[in-house]
Amino acid sequence: MSIIRLAFFNFKNSFKSYLSLILSLAFTILVFFNFQNIIYSDVFVLLGQRNKDYIDMLIEVCLVVLLCFLFFFLWYATNVFLTRRKREIGIYIFMGMSNRKIGSLYLVEISFVGITALAMGIGFGVLFSALFQMIMGAVSDLAVDVRFGISAKAIKMTSVSFLCMYLFFALKGFWNITRSSVLNMIMAAKQNEYLHVKPIVLLLKAILGIGVLVLGYYYANKGSRYDTLTNALLAVILVIIGVYLLFGGLIPLVFQLLVSRKRFLYHGQRCLWVNQTIFRMRKNYRTYAMVCIMGICSVSALATGFAMRNRYENLVAFDNQYTFQFLSSQSNIAQTTEAILDGKCTVAYQSSLCALVADSEPLLSSYTDVQQMHLLLSYSDIVQAAKAAGVTFAFDEPANDEVYYLSHLVLLSFITNGEAEPVTIAGKTYRQTQRIMIPYLGYLQKELGCLYVVSDREYERLKEKNDLIYYICNYKLKDDDVFNFEEIRMAFDTIVSNTEENYTARVSIDPYSNEGEWIKALHSLCIFMFLVFIVASGCIMFMKLYNDSFEEIQRYAVLKKLGFSTETLSASIAHELATAYLLPFAVMTVSAYFSVLSLGKMMRADLFSVYVVSMAVVSVMFMLFCVLSITVCQKTLLFARDNR
Amino acid sequence: MNDKKVVEIKNLVKHYGARDFQTTALKGIDLTIYKGDFIAIMGPSGSGKTTLLNILSTIDKPSQGMVMLDGQDVTRISNKALAKLRKDKIGFIFQDYNLLDTMTLQDNIALPLALDGSAPKEILARTKELAAMFGLEAQLRQYPYQLSGGQKQRGAVCRALITNPEIIFADEPTGALDSKAGKDLLQCLCKVNENGQATILMVTHDPHCASYAKDVYLLSDGTIKCRINRGNDRKEFYNRIIDLQTSIGGDFA
Ligand SMILES: Nc1ncnc2c1ncn2[C@@H]1O[C@H](COP(=O)(O)OP(=O)(O)O)[C@@H](O)[C@H]1O
Ligand SMILES: [Mg+2]
Repeated sequence: MSIIRLAFFNFKNSFKSYLSLILSLAFTILVFFNFQNIIYSDVFVLLGQRNKDYIDMLIEVCLVVLLCFLFFFLWYATNVFLTRRKREIGIYIFMGMSNRKIGSLYLVEISFVGITALAMGIGFGVLFSALFQMIMGAVSDLAVDVRFGISAKAIKMTSVSFLCMYLFFALKGFWNITRSSVLNMIMAAKQNEYLHVKPIVLLLKAILGIGVLVLGYYYANKGSRYDTLTNALLAVILVIIGVYLLFGGLIPLVFQLLVSRKRFLYHGQRCLWVNQTIFRMRKNYRTYAMVCIMGICSVSALATGFAMRNRYENLVAFDNQYTFQFLSSQSNIAQTTEAILDGKCTVAYQSSLCALVADSEPLLSSYTDVQQMHLLLSYSDIVQAAKAAGVTFAFDEPANDEVYYLSHLVLLSFITNGEAEPVTIAGKTYRQTQRIMIPYLGYLQKELGCLYVVSDREYERLKEKNDLIYYICNYKLKDDDVFNFEEIRMAFDTIVSNTEENYTARVSIDPYSNEGEWIKALHSLCIFMFLVFIVASGCIMFMKLYNDSFEEIQRYAVLKKLGFSTETLSASIAHELATAYLLPFAVMTVSAYFSVLSLGKMMRADLFSVYVVSMAVVSVMFMLFCVLSITVCQKTLLFARDNR
Repeated sequence: MNDKKVVEIKNLVKHYGARDFQTTALKGIDLTIYKGDFIAIMGPSGSGKTTLLNILSTIDKPSQGMVMLDGQDVTRISNKALAKLRKDKIGFIFQDYNLLDTMTLQDNIALPLALDGSAPKEILARTKELAAMFGLEAQLRQYPYQLSGGQKQRGAVCRALITNPEIIFADEPTGALDSKAGKDLLQCLCKVNENGQATILMVTHDPHCASYAKDVYLLSDGTIKCRINRGNDRKEFYNRIIDLQTSIGGDFA
């Protein structure tokens, strides 16, 4: 028989044992294809030119993440497959086949697997794509008309990247087989025979793991003004190492201690499933750790999405505090603008106040050097303006040596609150006791970046000394009245002036601008990523446990022969598998909490509800996969016809 | 001798295969095992030994005939009751030990009682007691892969005995052991039998192995050809078995 025919024969006959590999590969391809499809569809182009930079960056990040995902998934899946096939096709050594030939056999078989998976992945991917587009349309409120369609380029890209990586791993397997000794091949089955790990080794690993994790959590929540990014990176690395050590050290240690407590152990099915769990743990702890880390990543991705969205909405609200704002040297600016506005629309609220240039440098000349500029507002003025806008000004009047800085939000600031530097205004040094993020003066606050609130007395004192005053005037139009926004803006443009004697500036915020559409796209992508990673980690767990169940068949056949009832064994299997899902879930729950906490700190958003919801989704997913695993394993181990 | 019947089979017939290609593995077997017996069933390959043992141990069902186990007709009770019967009344010893490689010897021995829900304290005591009897105290904390074949098989015997079963079925228990380990194991079995702790039914093709039993039945072509009793001298018993074997002929394996 030629190699190809033999391989095809093998493939056909043990299709069932290939199935888990094929399905998981197909799933990966499906996900990858769907992403590619979105990227190559025109949806992002529609989002507008202004967002292009962000979107390109987004796409790149997604691609890198996905390629990594594909790479590791393929690595993992082919490795599992190789070990299994090695001992099955290792038999051919006795039929006088050379390692090279057996390697070629493997190569051909795995090619069949790959091609089947690719065909299935793209086939289902196309189907799923339609479904996903509907979901995406539902979860995100993209203002653009979403028409994805199926892009040929996506199919090409997916196939090429998959095949390249797949070939690499197939060749790696081939190389591995040609280089393995006869004994190694036949004994691949016996590799399960683990060595009992010395408790002291486990203890060391456990201590190290806990230390690393605690350090990771510490860095994740360390509030530092400048190194937040470094801290976050450090935290990520530490948590990953820590999780591995936890599954390789602490958890087996705890279980081993439990096993040595016979009083605990000899208690119904415990004797069986706790021992089984330890056995599995030693073989599978990398899988558990991987699943756990994937879970943490996905929850964090989701939290990021929500935080960004949240932050963005705050930003929009910040900017939209007023529709029109004026800063002028003319004292009659309020009257002028009111006259222009009159009859054109309804004003929701308005306010006007004075700002003092204490350093007596005119705005005009120093505009380029904003740091030197200080525009001072009196406490009672700002309270008045806040009241007019219907927001509370929850700060007490500053002391005479204090100022409050009117700051603004930014989308991605990694700076956590810290002590602000003192400011010197007109020769006097003030302590900056508040950085106010509330848009009391709306967009102007962000645009000028040099607004300070001082006490009324201090304001009067400084006013005595110089008389350079600017007048600020704010209007918020009723939202449903802004159909003639452009018209009003044009009218206001006539009073804008930039001369020595008349400086008048206008700020206008178009309430219907869709500059931030990309953030909504990012938000939906984050949700999608989250779902993908959670489903993927569930799949990995399922695949691993399903694969393992084949090694258990004999064990359970013995147990059945010994007369243990199906119910007893079913319960034991259920316990064991539930534990297998529960362990990563528990570690994930704790780690994700810290990760989300630090994200929330970094982005100044309250993400606790996101955390709760995402963990609820994760737990539902895991529960589903767990039930599936239990059902399938019970079927293979207890109710299969051919393992009496 | 105690005359409580542990096993009673009458006119046991077992067919294999569909109507047209039927082979008859057992052709009407009658056998009664009393409490305290140690019976060896010998026979050439294909004579139906494994089939008989499978039916006795309720893993397989007879085509015809009656099998009474501890007063219950195994052909008439539900699967659930069968499993319970198997768990409570029967102990098994397999040729390839069948210890679970995921747990220590101690846990392996304790498993049947633990799954049965006995008190941990009691299980622990019983495990220790049995291990002491079979010289396995030092091996209790080890995993099966760290043990020799003989130790593993003795461990399997402990596991079979821990529930105090009515009868122990052993299928070629020495099949995978070297002669020294086999001899040790058989001596152990003899000892527990003589102490009145176990009734044993053993299937074997090895006359030496069979000579440890009190009675030997010769099975050939699906029927029991004859039965011989050991008496007092094992050497002499062994010779009688050999003689019988040659007179019946066939391929003993
Ligand atoms: N599952 C089966 N299906 C068909 N025939 C069987 C089956 N098991 C055993 N036999 C037949 O029954 C006879 C007895 O077999 P067995 O009990 O295994 O003998 P022994 O164990 O003494 O070697 C043989 O002829 C064998 O071919
Ligand atoms: Mg046999």
